[in-house]
Amino acid sequence: MNKKLKIRFLALLLIFLSGSDIISQELYVLNGVVTDAASNETLIGVNILVPEAGTGVVTNDYGYYSLKLPKGDYKIEISYLGYQSLQQNITLDTNKKLDFQLAEASESLEEIVITSDIEGLNIRKPEMSVNKLSITTIQKLPVVFGEVDVVKSLLLLPGVSNAGEGSSGFNVRGGAVDQNLILLDEATIYNSSHLFGLFSVFNPDAIKDLKLYKGGIPAKYGGRVSSVLDIYQRDGNSKNFKMQGGIGAVSSRLLAEGPIVKDKGSFLVGARSSYAHLFLKLTDNENSAYFYDLNTKLSYNLDDRNKLLLSGYFGRDVFNISQNFENTYGNAVLNLRWNHIFSDNIFTNLSVIYSDYYYGLNLNFVGFNWDSGITNLNIKYDFNHYINDALQLKYGIQNTYYEFNPGEIEPIDSESGINYFKLTNKYAFENAVYLSAEHRISENFSAEYGVRLSNFFRLGQDEINTYENNDPVFYDPERDIYREADILETVESSRNDILESYSNLEPRIALSYALNDNQSVKASYNRMAQYLHLISNTSSPTPLDVWAPSGEFIKPQILDQYAVGYFRNFKENRYSLEVESFYKNIDNRLDYIDGANLIANNAVERIVLSGEARAYGLELLLRKNKGRLTGWAGYTLSRSEQRTQGRTAQEPGINAGDWYRTNFDKTHDLSITGSYDLNKKWQLNANFIYQTGLATTFPNAQYEYEGITVPVYGERNGDRLPAYHRLDLSATYTPGIDKDKKFESFWNFGIYNVYNRQNAYSISFRENTDTGQNEAVRLSLFGIIPSVTYNFKF
Amino acid sequence: MKKITLLLPIFLSFLFSSCEEVIDLELEESEPRLVIEASILWFKGDPGTDQTIRLSETSPFYDDELNPVETAVVKITSETGDIFDFTYTEDGTYRNNNFDAKLNASYELTIEYEGQSYKATEKLIPVTNLEFVEQTESGGFSGEDIEIKAYYKDPAETEDYYLFKFFEEDVNLEIYEDEFTNGNQIFGYFSNEDIEVNDIIEIEMQGISKRYYEYLFILRSQVGSNDGGPFETMPATVKGNIVNQTNPSDFPFGYFRLSEVDSTTYIVE
Repeated sequence: MNKKLKIRFLALLLIFLSGSDIISQELYVLNGVVTDAASNETLIGVNILVPEAGTGVVTNDYGYYSLKLPKGDYKIEISYLGYQSLQQNITLDTNKKLDFQLAEASESLEEIVITSDIEGLNIRKPEMSVNKLSITTIQKLPVVFGEVDVVKSLLLLPGVSNAGEGSSGFNVRGGAVDQNLILLDEATIYNSSHLFGLFSVFNPDAIKDLKLYKGGIPAKYGGRVSSVLDIYQRDGNSKNFKMQGGIGAVSSRLLAEGPIVKDKGSFLVGARSSYAHLFLKLTDNENSAYFYDLNTKLSYNLDDRNKLLLSGYFGRDVFNISQNFENTYGNAVLNLRWNHIFSDNIFTNLSVIYSDYYYGLNLNFVGFNWDSGITNLNIKYDFNHYINDALQLKYGIQNTYYEFNPGEIEPIDSESGINYFKLTNKYAFENAVYLSAEHRISENFSAEYGVRLSNFFRLGQDEINTYENNDPVFYDPERDIYREADILETVESSRNDILESYSNLEPRIALSYALNDNQSVKASYNRMAQYLHLISNTSSPTPLDVWAPSGEFIKPQILDQYAVGYFRNFKENRYSLEVESFYKNIDNRLDYIDGANLIANNAVERIVLSGEARAYGLELLLRKNKGRLTGWAGYTLSRSEQRTQGRTAQEPGINAGDWYRTNFDKTHDLSITGSYDLNKKWQLNANFIYQTGLATTFPNAQYEYEGITVPVYGERNGDRLPAYHRLDLSATYTPGIDKDKKFESFWNFGIYNVYNRQNAYSISFRENTDTGQNEAVRLSLFGIIPSVTYNFKF
Repeated sequence: MKKITLLLPIFLSFLFSSCEEVIDLELEESEPRLVIEASILWFKGDPGTDQTIRLSETSPFYDDELNPVETAVVKITSETGDIFDFTYTEDGTYRNNNFDAKLNASYELTIEYEGQSYKATEKLIPVTNLEFVEQTESGGFSGEDIEIKAYYKDPAETEDYYLFKFFEEDVNLEIYEDEFTNGNQIFGYFSNEDIEVNDIIEIEMQGISKRYYEYLFILRSQVGSNDGGPFETMPATVKGNIVNQTNPSDFPFGYFRLSEVDSTTYIVE
């Protein structure tokens, strides 16, 4: 970012700030927290409207709101999806703290429940490219094996896809899996998948709220270029002890919560474990694969202005193949937060976060153990500053210290033929300051604009390689190939040294213009920097891929994204339509030289070249928000590509320097999902999905060499798997509701892939052992799969 | 260690109701390209005078016939200027029976074919001795497959690369480097669910260069195990060390290399 742009931006900011503070009336602050009446759980995104003043506010991530109003009498309206709305008359003649409690909507009161909605549209807010899904919605969706899954549900939204069934992570707007910032209670999660991507690491019972930012990403977030998935865990019930759980085909869940000190403090402990390894037992072998995770939370209100929250997550996957091979991986997170309210209109949150991703292998048959991982310590301080009813500022500072352990090999015993070996640990420090404003400029025009200044320092490490011409990748012009350059010498540097530093100014802006009460147009631009790279050259990341920091040879990824959209509510908010179009470009996307060996590579700079990625597309989302039938249809038309050109005119680059489709590129992606309330006991749900087949590369010739048949491949990702489609159905049965609401339960019956479509997971080629001829083989992962899940709560 | 990534899709398919089916899939056909299999092997205890080089052209993917090249002029020149002409016999094979193999000596291969001239230079790479073969029965997915381990002592003072060939019904190639095993007694490993008692397994250990190791690393990643699933790597162009002098962009497949070989025969017990 150049200086001129910086100055222009600050000037713009000043104009907005000064222009909005010209109100001279006597103003008082009304603030407080909105909670659930039954559990004291704070509620995120509750609408608080003051119709007389023509203003309103939405509760923040901790249920807090603050409003500045002239002296007077007001009727306050509080509404939230799935809850009975509340109206309260107040006289404001002094600064006032007013907490609201909302009661969950019960069946009999359905008519007066406001269902417009956290998932519907806020026509006037500048927020765009954001998807919210409530846990209730997620729980209804039919899913494979009946396992409620946050990430799989997101895949039904436009702009979100993955690299096929059984691949890990998710892709947002043509971005790679490692470009998503995944936050669980503000802590970074490095791998969102269990069982190589069949399930996600989030226990739905422990989750309160989630939001996916695909674009127009606020300045508060940074460090990843494609998207932000912000997930909040529940605090726990501080009124009564409660338990809930579920028994499913693959995993079972149990969660307990209750008061530590009634109305002041609560705890929550949730555990989940799979028993898929039992299936393997049935097939009579010693292999096993299972996962488990644990969610914990403690929260305590010190007083009206101070609250402490301690949350933890621990998850692991374990694979075992006949005692010869054992693989363990998972995330661990511990997070202490302090909410503090300054002077009624400044809400602050201080977080101290420890986050860790571990990957371990035990290879008995070769005789060694392998450990690797990434650890970070993160301190951040975030401010929500409610200046007046038209302007809210968010600012803060974030610091992260990283330690990367790319791998350590240890022989199992003295007889092992393997030597001890340690790949060099790497260290880095990332910090950022940000300032952003949510600004209602006029009745119809609002903006959210801000800037984030991020810095990245690569710190000293034990071994640093030097290369001829400072070039870690050698181009051999005679054979026209790239290969690892020879290491000239290896030097050591102190942890206090700064090997390389990067600084990026990341402007963010989102504008909304309301054409009328039901229609608006929005536009956004954001620049983001990502300093970490997941070193992975497979189509979908594997758990053993390592994260590498930017440094002297690897530059940070820089994204520019532009999006425009048209938003409309119609038929009295019964339906909503969102149309968005986006274009994004990412610089310094790594690509791998042919034959790159990523495993146990102590100098990944020797196998990567810096390229670029781009994606563009059109997204449509039509929702039906009210009535017995609700649901949505989402469609995405998009293209996602990357290229890596030669560094000089002589070099060919990767794939001859041409653009090629990414592994997750899908031209068409259609999802239709619907839910129908048959009666009070039965609810029917359905999904239909149609997607262009994934890009892949087929052979176009063959030859024999050293007794083996070698295929010759054509243009990279120039072919496609057959189209992917399937239909899922499910029914939720809620037996007679207990009058006292002491015990609730529901059953979920599902059928995944109803018409048993044999979707291609892959197409591979092999030699037929009888005829000796090559043949194409389609592997399909999931045929028709019925499932039953039982859930309870008391 | 790359085996681990290969295990993932197997694991997935094992866990769930996966289904494999042979399908009709039309493939594009690329222009034929020259393939040169110039592997000069000097078995320990053998004079090393009889050598062969095989030439063919790539064929459409579903064809089961190979395209032998019959009209090429093939020769190897030693660093002292000795010329060894390879004459055509059959099935794309060219033969010489007075080759003079010298460890660590440099050789140049030249081939003339259809107006194009191809060249490559390599050294003859020595190899240590195979010491003994061990058999265990805890391999594979079932944990009961027969495993064959062929032990050798890696020389500590050199950076070494190995190609193991296990001939059972088909040939099995395994490659090793000594980065994590330098100076140790270690083994070449072969396991397969089809191995049975009394099977005869020919084992060859060949000394190879780092470059050839890298070449085989890419080649192997393109072969067989590559099922195109989400945990597979991108297909790569497998370029060898033989350069088309006339038209460099029209490069041939294959490799020119010279290896010392130790071999043994093992009968499964």
